[in-house]
Amino acid sequence: MPADPALKQQLETAIAENEVLLLMKGTPDTPRCGFSLRVVGVLDQLGVEYGAIDVLPVLQPLREVTTELSEWQTFPQLYVNGQLVGGCDIVEEMLSSGELADLLGVEQPEAPSAPEPQRILPGGSQQSPPMQLG
Amino acid sequence: MADLAELKAMIERTLPGAEVEVIDEGGGDHLRAIVAAPQFDGMSRLDQHRAVRAAVKPRFDDGSIHALSIETTALGSG
Repeated sequence: MPADPALKQQLETAIAENEVLLLMKGTPDTPRCGFSLRVVGVLDQLGVEYGAIDVLPVLQPLREVTTELSEWQTFPQLYVNGQLVGGCDIVEEMLSSGELADLLGVEQPEAPSAPEPQRILPGGSQQSPPMQLG
Repeated sequence: MADLAELKAMIERTLPGAEVEVIDEGGGDHLRAIVAAPQFDGMSRLDQHRAVRAAVKPRFDDGSIHALSIETTALGSG
């Protein structure tokens, strides 16, 4: 089944308009899955501004869109400068290796680590209100 | 509930020569696949992960797997 063209267009626009864009379950203030929480934590450690989209209201249609766009169908997904970086595993690996800080043009945080699973983050670095598609 | 042995076999079939471990991280649907494969040499992390996901895609599609953590390394590139 081809992906919803209107939804795909909305996502392409969001990717083009945000240097860093996180597709996540929930919002940075209220993540709805552990993996999304962890990626928010990584971005907060790096201190970068980013746009966030809550995928939950459009979950299945958006999976079809991202499958077409990026050959990737699970969330969270981090896009930087229009390119998919990956999900939680890849983002955390790249944080540890210093590649993510390089990619974002920020300083490598000291002793980077994954946040404790129970910590609720205030979503401090995010610059714009959480977006929704659909 | 995913069958760990089946998932391991699916990955090994897709990536001949790979060393594969599949672990249940809790509940039967949060899994971790640790894959070292010769085919990964020179591949981006994204493509390595895509290859593992493609190998087990039927189990994503039928809902047996809810989440899959993936660790990949290139094997025998030294």
